[in-house]
Amino acid sequence: MKFFVCIKQVPDVYAPLQIRDGEIHQDSDRQVLNAYDASAVEEALVLTEKHGGRVDVILAGPEKAHETIRKALAMGAEEGIHLQTESTSGQDSASYAHLLATFVKEKEFDVLSFGKQAQDTDSGLTGAMVAQLLDLPYTTNAVGLAIEGDHLIVTRQGDIGQEIIALPTPCVVTCSNDMNDPRIPTLKGIMGSKRKPVEVVQASSLHGTSLASGFTGEALTHTTSFESMPARKAGEKLQGEADEIARQVAKILSEKTGVFS
Amino acid sequence: MNPFLTVIPVQNQSLKRASLEVLSRTVELANEKGTTADVLLLGAQPETFSQLVASHGADRVFLVGNSLLNQHLNTPLLKAILMAIDSIHPSLVSFASNESTKDILGALSAALGSPALPDVASFWIEGDKVCVKRPVMAAKILANVKALFPNSGQKKPVLVSVRSGSYEVVERAGRGEKNVLEFAFDEGTLRQTLREVVKATAGTVDLAEAEVIVAAGRGVKDDEGKRLISELASLFNAGIGASRALTESGAYDPSVQIGQTGKVVSPQLYFAVGISGAIQHVAGMSNSKVIVAINKDPDAPIFEVADYGLVGDLYQILPALIQEIKAIKG
Ligand SMILES: Cc1cc2nc3c(=O)[nH]c(=O)nc-3n(C[C@H](O)[C@H](O)[C@H](O)COP(=O)(O)OP(=O)(O)OC[C@H]3O[C@@H](n4cnc5c(N)ncnc54)[C@H](O)[C@@H]3O)c2cc1C
Ligand SMILES: Nc1ncnc2c1ncn2[C@@H]1O[C@H](COP(=O)(O)O)[C@@H](O)[C@H]1O
Repeated sequence: MKFFVCIKQVPDVYAPLQIRDGEIHQDSDRQVLNAYDASAVEEALVLTEKHGGRVDVILAGPEKAHETIRKALAMGAEEGIHLQTESTSGQDSASYAHLLATFVKEKEFDVLSFGKQAQDTDSGLTGAMVAQLLDLPYTTNAVGLAIEGDHLIVTRQGDIGQEIIALPTPCVVTCSNDMNDPRIPTLKGIMGSKRKPVEVVQASSLHGTSLASGFTGEALTHTTSFESMPARKAGEKLQGEADEIARQVAKILSEKTGVFS
Repeated sequence: MNPFLTVIPVQNQSLKRASLEVLSRTVELANEKGTTADVLLLGAQPETFSQLVASHGADRVFLVGNSLLNQHLNTPLLKAILMAIDSIHPSLVSFASNESTKDILGALSAALGSPALPDVASFWIEGDKVCVKRPVMAAKILANVKALFPNSGQKKPVLVSVRSGSYEVVERAGRGEKNVLEFAFDEGTLRQTLREVVKATAGTVDLAEAEVIVAAGRGVKDDEGKRLISELASLFNAGIGASRALTESGAYDPSVQIGQTGKVVSPQLYFAVGISGAIQHVAGMSNSKVIVAINKDPDAPIFEVADYGLVGDLYQILPALIQEIKAIKG
């Protein structure tokens, strides 16, 4: 099967950050492959190793994002496609979905996979947007994938349980990091990735093409500023004998919460 | 301004608290703007709940009844909502954020050409804009995001989904005028097939609704630890949750994972037992009213968000705590 995996470069959420004048500042400019997309790449690699086929990755982002494409190539993807944008600012899931859908529309593939959400925005919209724009069957939040003939069998984590859904290919799926542990590229993989092809397409050349619904590549939502999360205050720390601190906290909870009745 | 619409899918014959929270907020905003607050109830027998939503301020209740809507497939749900939006012409559509909403929000946005604001912690209206605050970067910060209302007449409502626990449920009498919408769905057009639904252990308390949650982390090492977790939970009829470490290891069902990958919960009381407090876990539970953490490492990050931090071995603290709580409850 032929997989296209859409991957995003995101700032490292573990790196310390400050907010000044409504903007995020991170001392380290470390950018990483979105963790959910790493799982999507891993799963596609495992399935093609087993059943044959190939995995290509597509990324929309500025020049710097090239390094993230290399990361996926080092894991084992064969080719990268870089839809190059001026910067990341002013973009939202809708504008990226338009770019990705416009590019992919002309291509042949069996499975177009996504991460379930980008770690930096936690939006979780792009996969289903692209599926709708291309009129393809899809499902989200996959925790397991399998191939049966020309169907993709998706185990999806729902609200109360897991749903097992068969999708005819071509189809779209979004992946949870609960499906696998992405491989760490080997030295050989890293060296080899440098010789793998990366096609660069200027995003501006894809702009403006109107897809079915009127998505044109314009962002539909606008992030105006960032602020600190209203912090929970660290409360009381109780240390000492287990019996004693258990007695104290039980008493406090029975007085301060309504859950004992 | 065109009506505000709250979409409530009824699954397993139940209507979740989170849906009433969103409805309460949407009604408040509709009143503020002098527009109608509508509800779209979808499910096998949605009329069961029309009284309930009317008593939470719904002016009009639109009912779409079809047993396919109970089946966990996105196509029928998507088609039904699009059909309803087409006849109601709302300017704002609100949802409770859960996995079934996440499954369709992007597709709805693309089908309508509408802006979507997912998983918000709050939303309000300023002039011709819908404004929201939403947690980003593993809920370390809040982003202020805006989307323009459509020009009236356009079929492009702004879509908003709201995290559970963000608003209070408020009872107020609404007109509750019932409208049945005919929905003919041709099963032959279904491209997906649902093979099976594997339910988490029957009879467990729903984390989305639970007043109290007892969550286990890697510190809970064995069956004895799990037994203590269950015993503490049973004292409060609490839901049992887990960190990713324990859903990954198979100790707990994946559907009870709490956090960025898992669920966002907002109980009155949350016990974090043997959980270190990684940002991705905290992202799912920091909306809890009161947090009690039990951890043997006094520097565990979970203590930074806990109201009460119990430093010590959970295998000693849990039995003592269970005994004390039993004594108080009598
Ligand atoms: C993209 C992404 C998404 C993620 N999503 C989630 C998510 O949704 N939910 C989630 O939980 N994690 C998530 N994670 C994983 C997260 O980063 C942590 O790895 C995970 O939460 C750790 O689980 P833990 O706290 O149980 O284990 P650990 O970090 O190993 O902590 C165990 C704790 O138990 C304490 N302990 C050990 N023994 C005892 C004892 N006898 N008594 C008392 N205390 C004891 C230790 O001091 C320690 O603090 C995600 C990670 C990524 C990268
Ligand atoms: N700029 C991008 N380039 C490639 N894929 C993307 C991009 N943005 C989002 N995606 C994909 O869409 C998923 C969900 O993103 P989001 O809707 O922003 O949360 C990500 O996990 C990626 O798979």
